[in-house]
Amino acid sequence: MFRLAARSVQHNPKRLLLTAFAVALGVGLIAATHIFTDSLDRGFTRLFGEIYDGVDVIVEPVTSDGDVGDPTSGDSVGKDLDDAVVQTARSTAGVELAMGSTEAVGALIGTDGETLAGGSGFGPPTLFFNWTGVEDFDSATIVDGRAPEGDDEIVVDVGTAEAHGLTVGDQVVAGGADGTYPSTVVGTASWGDGNNTQGATLVWASLDRVRELRGGGDGWSVVHVRVDDGADAEAVAVAIDDRLPDGVRALTGAAKAEEQAASLGEALKAVDVFTLAFAFVALFVGAYIIANTFRIIVTQRTREFGLMRAVGVKGQQVRTMVLAEALLIGLVASVLGILLGYALAGGIIGLLKALGPGESFAVPIIPLDAVAWGFAVGIVVTVASALLPAIHASRISPMEAMRDAATQNRRGLRMRNIVGGALALAGAGLTTVGLYAGLERPYVYVGAGAVLLVLGVTLLAAQLLVPLAYGMRDLLARVWRVDGRLAANNIHREPRRSANTAAALMIGVMLLALTATVTQTVKSVAADAIGGQFTADLMVVSTTVPGSADDAVVADLASVPDVRTVTRSASLDARVDGVLVPVTVLDTATAEEAIAYETEPAFAEIDGGVFVSPSAIEAGAEVGDTVTLVGEDGEVTLEVTGEYPTSGDGDYFVDFAQAERLGTTIDVWQYSIVAAPGADVDHVRADLEDLVATDYPLLTVQSPDDMLALANQLIDLMLAVITALLSGALVIAMLGVANTLLLSVTERTREIGLLRAVGARRRSVRRMIRIESVVMSVFGAVLGIVLGVALGVALIRALEEFGFETVTIPWVLLGVYTVLAILAGIVAAWWPARKAAKLDVLEAIAFDG
Amino acid sequence: MTTSTTVTIAASMRGGTKDYGSGDAAVRALDGLDVDIAQSEFTAIMGPSGSGKSTLLHTLAGLDRLTAGESWIGETQITGLSEDKITQVRRDKIGFVFQAFNLIPSLSARENITLPLDIAGRDIDPAWFEEIISILGLGDRLTHLPAELSGGQQQRVAVARALVARPELIFADEPSGNLDSRSGAELLGFMRRAVKEFGQTIVMVTHDPTAASYSDRVLFLADGRIVDEMREPTADRVLDRMKQMGH
Repeated sequence: MFRLAARSVQHNPKRLLLTAFAVALGVGLIAATHIFTDSLDRGFTRLFGEIYDGVDVIVEPVTSDGDVGDPTSGDSVGKDLDDAVVQTARSTAGVELAMGSTEAVGALIGTDGETLAGGSGFGPPTLFFNWTGVEDFDSATIVDGRAPEGDDEIVVDVGTAEAHGLTVGDQVVAGGADGTYPSTVVGTASWGDGNNTQGATLVWASLDRVRELRGGGDGWSVVHVRVDDGADAEAVAVAIDDRLPDGVRALTGAAKAEEQAASLGEALKAVDVFTLAFAFVALFVGAYIIANTFRIIVTQRTREFGLMRAVGVKGQQVRTMVLAEALLIGLVASVLGILLGYALAGGIIGLLKALGPGESFAVPIIPLDAVAWGFAVGIVVTVASALLPAIHASRISPMEAMRDAATQNRRGLRMRNIVGGALALAGAGLTTVGLYAGLERPYVYVGAGAVLLVLGVTLLAAQLLVPLAYGMRDLLARVWRVDGRLAANNIHREPRRSANTAAALMIGVMLLALTATVTQTVKSVAADAIGGQFTADLMVVSTTVPGSADDAVVADLASVPDVRTVTRSASLDARVDGVLVPVTVLDTATAEEAIAYETEPAFAEIDGGVFVSPSAIEAGAEVGDTVTLVGEDGEVTLEVTGEYPTSGDGDYFVDFAQAERLGTTIDVWQYSIVAAPGADVDHVRADLEDLVATDYPLLTVQSPDDMLALANQLIDLMLAVITALLSGALVIAMLGVANTLLLSVTERTREIGLLRAVGARRRSVRRMIRIESVVMSVFGAVLGIVLGVALGVALIRALEEFGFETVTIPWVLLGVYTVLAILAGIVAAWWPARKAAKLDVLEAIAFDG
Repeated sequence: MTTSTTVTIAASMRGGTKDYGSGDAAVRALDGLDVDIAQSEFTAIMGPSGSGKSTLLHTLAGLDRLTAGESWIGETQITGLSEDKITQVRRDKIGFVFQAFNLIPSLSARENITLPLDIAGRDIDPAWFEEIISILGLGDRLTHLPAELSGGQQQRVAVARALVARPELIFADEPSGNLDSRSGAELLGFMRRAVKEFGQTIVMVTHDPTAASYSDRVLFLADGRIVDEMREPTADRVLDRMKQMGH
C-alpha cells in the first residue's frame, strides 16, 4: 500500500504541494520557537557560567520566602548584609578570602547634562560596582588605565567606553536616586572574557561612592568567597550556610549559575508557551486545509478507488493507502518545516545580532526537542486531518467506478449541522454562564465557551455561510453577469469544501478581530484612566529604580516656581492574615487634587486609617473593621475608613505616616505635580526638567499625554507582535483558499473548456475564479470579524472587575481586515485563475475528469 | 446532381493543413483540404478513425488552429485572428453540440440554454426561446439541473443552447453518439427541422451512417482530404460508400 501511495504522490505532486507547504509552515513556526529559545538558553547558561566562574561560594540575602532579588535590575528583595556576615564567612574553615561587594543602579551623565546611559527610560540598566581588586570577584580586568582609587574615579566597561567615545581622563557624572557626583574616567575594563554585558552599562567605583549611589547605608549586596586550595566548595558553602542568620544563605558559584540559568529557563518557557500557542493556531488552520485537500483528492479519485475495489482491493487497504499518502506528506513537510524553522530562527537571531541585543545567543543548532516536536506535530496533524477523508475513501463501493465522474456523491450536512449546533450552543451557554452567573474566575468559562463556539461555528459554516454566499448569486450575477452566477454556483456546489476553506480564514481573522477589540478597549480604558484619573498637570516618574520617599525630594520638587502641590504615589508589600498583598501609599492630603480617585469618602478623610478595594472587600474587609498590615519590621492595625472603587490599583491604601511604621521599603513610582492656577505648565515643566537633570538623573518629567502615548505605544507593540504571530496562520489560510480553488479548477476542467468553447474569454474565466475566491474570503473574514468582536466583547465583560467597563470596537482595523481579506482572495486566486484561463479548449473538453 | 450558383457560403477552408507533433513524429491530420459549407444546409462529415474529421470540425470552428491554409466563418477570416477575437467569433456566430458533457452541471437547463447569450451580454428573444423550447419539448424541464435530466434531454438542451443565439453555424460532434437509437433519432430529427424550418446551418461529424442520413450533404474524409461527397444521402448508400473506403 505504501508503494501505491508513494506512486500516487509521485504521479501528481502538484496537488499536494500547497498542502505540504501549509504543514511545513506550521511545523516551521514550532521548530523556530524551539531553536530560538534553545539558542538563548545556551547563550545565557554559558554567560552565567562565566560570571560565577571564579567565585567558589556566594553569600547573599534572601527574603523570608526564600526569594532572591531580580539579578538583572540589581533590586534585591532582601536587606543588605552587614559586616558580621562577612566576618562569619571569613572565619569559616576552608575559606581563603571573603569580601563584601556592593552594587547600585544609577546613571552615567555627560558634563553637558546629557544622559549617556541608564537614568530614565527603558532598556538595559546602568550598574555600579565597588572595585575589590580581586579579579575573580570583580569578574573584570582592566584594559586601559587603572582601577578606581579615589571616590571621584570610575572605570567603565569597554563596550560603554566605545559606545560613548569615553577615554581615560574624560569627565562624567555618576547619578543615583538621591544625587549626582562628578567623576573622572580612570580606566576601562572588560567584563568576563568578551565584555558580554547584554547591553548593560557597567561602572566600577569606590565602595563609598557605590554606597552613596545606593542611597546610603553601610551594608553589602553580596559576599564573594574563595576557598583554600583543595577545599571542597560545596562543603564550605554548607559550613558557611549553617552559621548564617535567617534571611542570608550561602551557595556555590556553580549552583548560583545553575539557579540563574534555570530561572531564566522558566522565563523562556513562558515565551515558548506564548509563541507555541500561535504555532498551534497556525497548525489548527492548517489541519482544515489538509482535511480539505484530502477530501477533494478522494472525491477526484472516486473512480480510481472504485476500480481498485472492483479488482479486489479491500476498503481497509484503500484507507491505509490514503493514510500512507498523508504520512508521506507529513514526513516530507516536517523535514521542510524543521529546516524552515532553522532558517527562520537563524534569521531572527542574525537580525537581533545586527541590531545589537543579540550577543547572548549561542550559535543556533537544531535541538532534539525541535526535531521531535516538528515530526510529532507535522505527522500527527497531517494524518489526523486525513483520517476522515480516508475513511470516506474506504467506503467507496466498486459501483462508483462505473458511474459518471460528474455524478457527485452528495452526503447530507445533517450530522455536521447537529454536531456543530450542539457545540455552538454549548459554547454560547458556557460563555453566558461565565458572563452572568457571577461565578469565580468567569474568564475561564468565557474562554472555554469561546473555543467550543468557534468549533461549532466552523462546522455550521457550511449551513450558514454557503447559503449566504448563494443568496448573493443574483447580486453577483447582476454585477458580473454569468461569471458572478457561476462563481456563486461553484461555492454552493461543494458546501463543505467552501465552508472549510472559509473557516480556515475565519479563525485567523477571528483571532485578529478579538485581539484588536481587546487592545482597542485597553487603549481607551488607559486613555480614560490616564486622562480622567490624573488631574495633575505633570508627573515626575522613575522608570529604572523606584524613586526615593525622602522628604527632601518632595521639598526640592515643590521649590520649583509655580508648583502648588507634590503628591507621592508609592507601593509596598505587606501581609494581611499571612497573605502578601499590594499596598498603595499616597500623600492623602493632596491626593484628591492630583489624582481623580473616586473614593468614598475623599482620601483626605482617611484619618490615619486604611481604604480598601473591591478585592480586599471580597477578602472580608469592611468599613468600620480593623485590618492588620504586617511589614518587614513592624505592623499596624488600622481602621477601615473608606472604599476605593476598582481593583488593580492595589488592595489597601494608606498614607505615608502609617506606611513608614511597617519598616518596609516604600517604592515611590510617581510624584504628581499640580501647578499653581494660571501658571504656564510648559514653563513649570522646563524648570522641573532642569532640576531633575542635575539633581535626580533617574527621574523624568512627563505630562499625562506623554503617559498616554507611552501606554498606547506599548499596546500597539503588543498588537503588532500578535498580528505578526497570527500572520503565519493567515498565510496558511490563504494557501488553503488557493489550494481549494486549484483542485476545484482541475475538477472543473471540462466545464471550463465548455465555457471557453461557447465563447467565454480567458479574462472572463479568470474573473469567475477570482470572484469565487473573494466571496469565500470575504465571508470567512466577515464571519471571523463577527465572532472575534463578539468574543472580544464577552471577554471584556468577563474582565469587568479590572475596570473594563466600556467596549471600543476597532472599526478602522476591522475595515482594514476586510480589505485585506479581499486582497487575500485576489492573491489566492492568482495561480488557480491563471491555470483555468490557460486551459486548452480542446484538451479541456476531452479531459477525463 | 445540380449545383446551385446562388448558395451563400457559411464557412470555408482553402488549403487547410494541420500537423500534430513535429519531425519524425509529425502526423498530418489535414492535408491541404478545400471545403465550402453552404448556408441553410445540414452537412455531415464522415470518415474512418484518424481520417481527420474531428480536426476539420475543430479548425473550421476556431477551436483549433491550422498549421497552414486559411479558413472563414461567413466573411470573417479566422486564421490569423487573436485568441480573444476567435473567442468572440465563436461567441457571436457559432453554436456547439458535443458528444457528452455539454452542460455546466451547476446551472439549470434554462441557464445552460441562455449561457452563450449571457456570456455575450445579449438579450434573449423570448418568442424565439419559447419556440425552441416547445419544439424540443423541454418546457417542463427548464428548472432542472443537468444531473436530473436523461441523456436525450441533456443533448436537446445542448441543441437548444446552440440554437438560441441564432448563430450563423452550428457545429455538432457526434451529438447522438451517447444516446440510444430512439433518443438519437429524435435529436437528429430536431436538428433537421432546424435546418428546414429556420434555415439554420449545421455541420456534424459522425461515424454513424444513420445519423448521416439526416443531412443534406455528406463529405467523406480519408487521410486528411475530402475524397467524395454525397447529396440526399440514405443510410444504405452511406454505408456502401463507407464499405468501399475499407471501413
